Amino acid sequence: MVSIASGTAEERQTGSRKLREILLEVRPHGLLDVVAGIDSVLVEFDCLTVSHTQLAQTIRLAAASRGYEGDGPAHHGKHFTIPMVVNESFAPDLTDVAEELGISKGAVLGHLEASELNINLLASAMAPMMGRVQFPGQVSRCKEPRTNVDPGSVMVAGTNAIIQPFPGPTGWKVIGRTPLTICDIRENPPTSFRPGDTVRFKVVPESEWERLEGRFLRADSDTTKGEH
Amino acid sequence: MPASERSVTITIREAAWLATFQDLGREQSEALGVPCGGAADQHSASVANILVGNPRNATGIEIMGGRFSFTTSKPLLISVTGAPADVTVNGSKVQMWEPVCVPAKGRVVIANAHGGMRNYLAFSGTVVADQFMGSTAPEARMGFPQQISAGQHLNLITAYAGFEHPYLTQPLFRLPVPVPSFDHPVWTIDIVEGPETDAAHGIRELLAAREYTVTAKSNHVGLRLDGPVVHPEGLGEIVSHGVPIGAFEIPHGDELIILGRYRTLTAGYPIVAFATKASLPMLGQARPGQRMRFRWVSQEEAVESQHESQRRLSLLESRVQSLFSAIDLPHHSRPVAAQEAA
Repeated sequence: MVSIASGTAEERQTGSRKLREILLEVRPHGLLDVVAGIDSVLVEFDCLTVSHTQLAQTIRLAAASRGYEGDGPAHHGKHFTIPMVVNESFAPDLTDVAEELGISKGAVLGHLEASELNINLLASAMAPMMGRVQFPGQVSRCKEPRTNVDPGSVMVAGTNAIIQPFPGPTGWKVIGRTPLTICDIRENPPTSFRPGDTVRFKVVPESEWERLEGRFLRADSDTTKGEH
Repeated sequence: MPASERSVTITIREAAWLATFQDLGREQSEALGVPCGGAADQHSASVANILVGNPRNATGIEIMGGRFSFTTSKPLLISVTGAPADVTVNGSKVQMWEPVCVPAKGRVVIANAHGGMRNYLAFSGTVVADQFMGSTAPEARMGFPQQISAGQHLNLITAYAGFEHPYLTQPLFRLPVPVPSFDHPVWTIDIVEGPETDAAHGIRELLAAREYTVTAKSNHVGLRLDGPVVHPEGLGEIVSHGVPIGAFEIPHGDELIILGRYRTLTAGYPIVAFATKASLPMLGQARPGQRMRFRWVSQEEAVESQHESQRRLSLLESRVQSLFSAIDLPHHSRPVAAQEAA
């Protein structure tokens, strides 16, 4: 596991994302895969192709040479506008979050909609983990994790947001649901977003649900013709 | 389909407790949040394929528990590896860990697995199966179960057209097959240090000295073990980070978890050890009730044992290739790799 030794939490997060991009671009000899952590990168490699010390050396060299070039590989991120519906059954934790932050439910959603979010990494089952929501404080996790949360659920913890792509357990706070399908294994690739892309949530009336339900999420530029 | 190849229909008659298409897993999927998955016992799955002349990562069937049986429209060359089990072709017992010739309209039964959890069935040729991210391995959570059920017809594209031996129904092959031992009631698993080994005072001694038992809560996500643990001290909250296959986690409760190939990729629990790569296949065979001991080894020893297991697979691969060429059986001709995984 590689992590950035110093800096603020935010610097370490940005640094580890940059390092991950460098590794995926350079693909050092023997590298098999990487797993993104919040502020670290797990490097998986074939220990018969490259030794532990050789690979560590290559990673240091790659990181150092990128450092000189400044920002690392240029990634022209796509932008996504994701509609979400908020009602009692889709947003069971909205009241809790509002109380914890000391603001109204409307203000919670207002902060979320106002934040231009960056997809930092794809978490379990390709869930897009995004930051940073401009909340006035940190949102805690559920004391008792939910055993099953429906796909499409928009969830927050700390100042991060994530969307549940498939049914499953989670300790994040659920504050809405998107009618769109964000990951579909019949699509190639199964998600149209990747780390580095940006997202903005838009609360839409419940009457929109039926029209949008099940549509595959695509970038704004891919849904509006002629924009490239 | 080249003229030398034919399509064979395999009809599943009994589907065990769980049977799925399986290969060695996904490549480069974990950066996108999808665990590599693939055969829990990569050694047995690889050997099964090598024994029928396939590439190691060809699609086969992973079988758990109960009886699995099938019939075939045309002759097949198969092999069965993994936990010791009873394998019959038209009622006659055949050997596991060997190439087996199945005649047209033959019936194969795999049953009574004991001592381990999984069997691997390979067919000479290509099993037609859906892929997700370049692999036929199941990814049930994302809606890709790959489960095989009774009555299902599988399609196989094979160049195998039957094999006639003048004296025997099954030819005798003398191949250097690395067959793991399932005999010992207590398995020994090699481990190396983890990032929180030192913070968990006494865990080094406990893991070296005590016996641990796999519990019924285990699955392809991880093995859960009963046995003494100590919790690391003074670490504070651990930020969620990537976790490799074979990591020994100590969650808040008093148990030990060894992560499997379908793990959740990130976690914030302390990691007190890692199983060596060469010991992962046996962990993929551990059943509830299996007892194990652990042996600390150095990183160099861990790499050396992995090297040795790969060397054995490469040796088998080249022997199969020579043998199959000599007796005119189809085989996947492999470019002579960077000398046997040196």
